[in-house]
Amino acid sequence: MMLTKPDPQHTQLYLDGVSVSFDGFRALNNLSLIIMPGEMRAIIGPNGAGKTTMMDVITGKTKPDRGTILFDGDTNLTEMDEAGIATLGIGRKFQKPTVFESHTVWDNIDLALAGRRGPFATLFHRDGADDDRILAILETIRLSGRRDVLAGALSHGQKQWLEIGMLLAQEPKLLLVDEPVAGMTDAETAETARLLREIAQTRSVVVVEHDMTFVRDLDVKVTVLHEGSVLSDGSLDHVSADPRVIEVYLGR
Amino acid sequence: MRILLLLLSLLVTPLVWAQATGPLIDALGADDFAAREQALTALTETDDPAIVPALKALENGQLYRRLSDDKVVIGQEQGESITLTDPLTGEALGTQAAGDLERIRVNNRLRRAIDASLGALTLRSPDAAVRQSAADAVFVSRDAATLPLLETALAAETDARVKRSLEQARAAILLADATLGTDDKLSAIAIIADKGGQAALALLSPLTSSTEPAVAKAATEAVRLIENKLAWAAAAQNVIYGLSLGSVLLLAAIGLAVTFGVMGVINMAHGEMVMLGAYTTFVVQEIIRAHAPGLFDWSLLIALPLAFVVAGGIGILIERGVIRFLYGRPLETLLATWGLSLVLQQAVRSIFGPTNMEVGNPAWMAGAFQVGEVTITYGRMWIFLFGLMVFAALMLLLRRTPLGLQMRAVTQNRSMARAMGIRTARVDALTFGLGSGIAGLAGVALSQIDNVSPNLGQGYIIDSFMIVIFGGVGNLWGTLVGALSLGIVNKLLEPLAGAVLGKILVLVGIILFIQARPRGLFALKGRAIEH
Amino acid sequence: MQGGILLPRLDRAGLIFGAVALGLAILIPILNLIVPTDSAFHVPPHVVALMGKYLCYALLALSVDLVWGYCGILSLGHGAFFALGGYAMGMYLMRQIGPRGMYGHPTLPDFMVFLNWQELPWYWLGFDQFWFAAIMVLLAPGLLAGLLGWLAFRSRVTGVYLSIITQAMTFALLLAFFRNDMGFGGNNGLTDFKDILGAPLQADGTRSALFAASAIALAFGFILCRWIVRSKLGRVLVAIRDAESRTRFLGYRVEQYKLLVFVTSACMAGVAGALYVPQVGIINPGEFSPANSIEAVIWVAVGGRGTLIGSVIGAVLVNFGKTLLTNALPEIWLFALGGLFIAVTLFLPRGIVGLWTGYWAKRREKQAASIATQPVTEGS
Ligand SMILES: Nc1ncnc2c1ncn2[C@@H]1O[C@H](COP(=O)(O)OP(=O)(O)O)[C@@H](O)[C@H]1O
Ligand SMILES: [Mg+2]
Repeated sequence: MMLTKPDPQHTQLYLDGVSVSFDGFRALNNLSLIIMPGEMRAIIGPNGAGKTTMMDVITGKTKPDRGTILFDGDTNLTEMDEAGIATLGIGRKFQKPTVFESHTVWDNIDLALAGRRGPFATLFHRDGADDDRILAILETIRLSGRRDVLAGALSHGQKQWLEIGMLLAQEPKLLLVDEPVAGMTDAETAETARLLREIAQTRSVVVVEHDMTFVRDLDVKVTVLHEGSVLSDGSLDHVSADPRVIEVYLGR
Repeated sequence: MRILLLLLSLLVTPLVWAQATGPLIDALGADDFAAREQALTALTETDDPAIVPALKALENGQLYRRLSDDKVVIGQEQGESITLTDPLTGEALGTQAAGDLERIRVNNRLRRAIDASLGALTLRSPDAAVRQSAADAVFVSRDAATLPLLETALAAETDARVKRSLEQARAAILLADATLGTDDKLSAIAIIADKGGQAALALLSPLTSSTEPAVAKAATEAVRLIENKLAWAAAAQNVIYGLSLGSVLLLAAIGLAVTFGVMGVINMAHGEMVMLGAYTTFVVQEIIRAHAPGLFDWSLLIALPLAFVVAGGIGILIERGVIRFLYGRPLETLLATWGLSLVLQQAVRSIFGPTNMEVGNPAWMAGAFQVGEVTITYGRMWIFLFGLMVFAALMLLLRRTPLGLQMRAVTQNRSMARAMGIRTARVDALTFGLGSGIAGLAGVALSQIDNVSPNLGQGYIIDSFMIVIFGGVGNLWGTLVGALSLGIVNKLLEPLAGAVLGKILVLVGIILFIQARPRGLFALKGRAIEH
Repeated sequence: MQGGILLPRLDRAGLIFGAVALGLAILIPILNLIVPTDSAFHVPPHVVALMGKYLCYALLALSVDLVWGYCGILSLGHGAFFALGGYAMGMYLMRQIGPRGMYGHPTLPDFMVFLNWQELPWYWLGFDQFWFAAIMVLLAPGLLAGLLGWLAFRSRVTGVYLSIITQAMTFALLLAFFRNDMGFGGNNGLTDFKDILGAPLQADGTRSALFAASAIALAFGFILCRWIVRSKLGRVLVAIRDAESRTRFLGYRVEQYKLLVFVTSACMAGVAGALYVPQVGIINPGEFSPANSIEAVIWVAVGGRGTLIGSVIGAVLVNFGKTLLTNALPEIWLFALGGLFIAVTLFLPRGIVGLWTGYWAKRREKQAASIATQPVTEGS
């Protein structure tokens, strides 16, 4: 337990004492975490540590049993639904790439573009108004040549990128990325790391990942999660030297 | 009052009977009612239990005067002719044409006299049960003439229950006497209030407007008490009806709890599996009727395994032929199985015709028994017990057998189960067959209380789905609680809103409930159910 | 202001469909009314009525396709919206009878006189005015859909659960409308209509006009649906159908979208019912039967869900088949219908239109250019 609670003011994301349990099983146990604006953070931890659950709690998919979650220092996320949280400026990439398979690449980006989200706004939305933005994003994610292809026909890596592109289009202040390089080739992994660093220049990013080379590539502060709470944090070298982390990763 | 005196004299007359009785009975054949009544009085004075059959026959219009010799006989009409027996000895006297006999008629006055005299005779029966029912009969008839008789009987009575009934009967008679003193009335009211029931209520309610304030007050209080009790009894009866309906719903839903709840397959043809079970019962009964009528009481027990095999077998065919191609596509499964239900209905209609089939109840399903104010029919009781038995058997099967273990393994994690060497396809087919077979068992039970027609299943399918969802998909206990509580709620609503409106209210209630708790009463939490 | 948005979206499919429907709306009445009876081109009045009925079914199918094909909501209760629209129209037609009923009562419909009712229940007031009935045709189904949808979508009831709830809803309504004291004619429903907007219902001219109205309503419905599904809203709907929670995480309030299409679709079904009733001359509680709703779903499946045009083709084809079969071999019809359900789901998951487009797509060997409407099955 910390003696003085840190001040949530000026933070991008502030989690304090968050707990979640499923049928008695504690997936998150008194978890506290702070992300500053513009910060990029890598989160590692063994399987079942609660990394995905943490993202669920932040994005409103799961309601925490206890604890505080603040965005921008003042907005209480625990009282909002997924759509509300998303429009606040929190984007999320799932562990399994989820794009709209029966839409084209172009439409996938178009749907993700920041803008008014109400049904009437979209009903009377004029096509063609946002073409420039879409083209720019397609450029960034290297899919310009495939803009009219159905997303379902993309390769696994391309889907991951498309999803990252959709997140960019959302223009979030905070980006949550769950295992972005799972199943990617080495070249794709390196490319993804570059992409994420580029994105992180203008916003806060939280990346969950297993792949240590990838985390090293990112070169940012690392937080180790274990059994639903923070085990250790600091630079990658620092946490790798932490005996408790070694115990957790190797001791079983 | 004359009868009363006669009866009084009867009580003191030494019992000398038998030899004189025969001519006395013949006197009942007299021409006018007054003479018949005199004869009846004389008969009653004999105090001979042997005259009871004659009196009963007289009351039922089965006592005749033989025109040839004026002898009075009991006759049983058989078409044109009448079979005769001797009223005293019961000895058969052959048959005679209706024209040779004259029915001895009774009027209301005579009828009451007969009742009174029957009551008097039976009040002294050596059999306590007979005395009990005689006392109850007097309570209802409230014939003041029986009062002295009653007093004697009371004095001699040793059985506590019968004694109480006699006291109640006496109180009922006394209450009718306007000249009775206030104190006596009050104690009579107390005795009757103690008895309770509709009859007591009918006796007491006029007294609530009595001019004597004490009486009126006591009567009002007693009426309130009795009404209260009656309301509880009615509620209890409705709960019993509800449990009975609930067990029917349980039987219909429990197979669905396996196919939909455990496997996640939306089988809209589930109702038709029930229907097939009912038709299996019909066929079994037809065969028994034709070849071994003696086995009729066993027909349901014979039908049970057959219905399980028929419905289960067809279920397996459906799973192998259609459903297995649609796993993971619930909406398509829904449509395809709906199509199957149409085909099955039409097939049965083509074979058996569109009309209701006659399925009989074995003797042990017929009749009813009484618990306090509540009536329970044997049929409903057996169906209730059967529902619980099927539920328990299914629970045991899922929890305690290797097949049950495999079923749960496959439904929880298909690929893992396959990796462990479980033949998932076989388990799928068997699970579906099990659910369908249970539906067949339900059909056997439902054939006893519902019309066996091709549409039988349609009546249950929506209810069954609602129950499984209401109870919480994948939770068998939820199905049990859901079915029984819905049955009870339905029956409690019925007297308030009527049967149809009650059902509508229940449906709307469930729809609203599912909005509030989409996962049902006993929701499972967790990832397993999300996708 | 809307024209600027509407017109560019009036795509070729919408235009062609509108033109064909309009052509039918003109052609059939001419063939019926003007072409002499002995001509080979004469269309007899009963055929006009029959075709009018098919067009109403097609509109119903279109409304089912809008929610099922594009938003993944398999409603098994659209028959209820259809029937509600039908009852609203039936109530107007009933009031038009006026004193010409069997009992000759000036305002009360026969069945109310029969039940010894003294005055019109409040919910029958206003139905003597066509405009009022026309509003109710939209309002009654729209409100019911709005209420049910609001409750269900809000608490995220999806997939088969939603299907079963909608089925329970229509079943409850079926029971309710069977009751005499509901005031909708009970078992017998509403019938013995005399005229509509002053025109006698039995007259050939009226029948032709009703047919034309149905064709125009269908065209209007089709163009409306095209407009919706080709807008960005339509793309959001497909996104919801394929990956509901992903759509939420993009910031779309899924329940609002679902509610909007569900209500729109229910109103379309109501219009279909309202046009159907004067053409068949009766509306009774049987229209609420769950089997009717699910039959409408199979029309869509046969034609090809998520294609709009498929639902129209499916509705007309299946009902044409039904007319033929029930006349020739009535026992066979349910076998055929049941078989159709099974065959379509097993062998023709994308329906006739899917088969057609799939064939052409293969022919041209252009993998990417096919329409963006291939339904992705959803788990629940
Ligand atoms: N909805 C849920 N229901 C039940 N258990 C869950 C649910 N979500 C997560 N869990 C459990 O919580 C623990 C943490 O899961 P998760 O956050 O997915 O771990 P990670 O992403 O770190 O591998 C796991 O043991 C998982 O089984
Ligand atoms: Mg994870």
